[in-house]
Amino acid sequence: MELNELYRDVILDHNRHPRNFGPLDPADASVEGFNPMCGDRLTLRLRISDDSISDIRFEGQGCAISTASASLMTEAVKGKSRAEAMQLFERVHRLLTDDAAVSEELGKLAALSGVREYPARVKCASLCWHTLSSALQASGSHIAPVSTE
Amino acid sequence: MEFFKRLDRDAVHAHESALLDYATRQLAGIPGLQIVGTAPEKAGLVSFTVAGVHPHDLGTVLDEHGVAVRTGHHCAMPVMDYFKIPATARASFSLYNTFEEIDRLAAGIEEARKLFG
Repeated sequence: MELNELYRDVILDHNRHPRNFGPLDPADASVEGFNPMCGDRLTLRLRISDDSISDIRFEGQGCAISTASASLMTEAVKGKSRAEAMQLFERVHRLLTDDAAVSEELGKLAALSGVREYPARVKCASLCWHTLSSALQASGSHIAPVSTE
Repeated sequence: MEFFKRLDRDAVHAHESALLDYATRQLAGIPGLQIVGTAPEKAGLVSFTVAGVHPHDLGTVLDEHGVAVRTGHHCAMPVMDYFKIPATARASFSLYNTFEEIDRLAAGIEEARKLFG
């Protein structure tokens, strides 16, 4: 396994220049994701209109994989309906954990597939997606923080 | 225990101290590298951060160089808060380590700086 399979140019670019990074105020949902084993922490904020994600931004600190995954995710789900975003969550989750998963039609998100060769890093990539899933499935205004442990 | 009892403890201490001195000098010359913890009588280990490179990414790059370091908060979150850092990488030295391995550690850090810079 070569390092450049994990740290592809897309990942390095989104780590250096995270998209949709910063606060979002007002937001319809705000959820914190935390990985206590490694200390990665992010806050995801969404605006929902007509059951679609009209805006999404994130803040926090983490490794290149977690930062790039969150940045790519915000780009991918903006404008998507809740159901479409949840389908994407399922597909990315399979991509990260299942060697047989295909990355077709995932666009830039396919760059995350190198992570599955590094089991210790899968949680880095999946933290933001679990946080998104929690935000989309919550019904009330208070959403419990997401922990990967 | 039988193995350890046969060792010359002064010689082991001298070797570990020499490795620590060498590693401290080698790492201190790397731009953006900050050594965390510099007590005069500390054990043979160096905990450090590298500007622009998260310790977990650094750990993965070093792993590919055959260098194993521990990364993260080392179950010492209050100290991490005190230093205002999320995590460090930590290399430790013992009687079986060599100076060449410290050179490999330094080379791996330089490669990580290039990759993420």
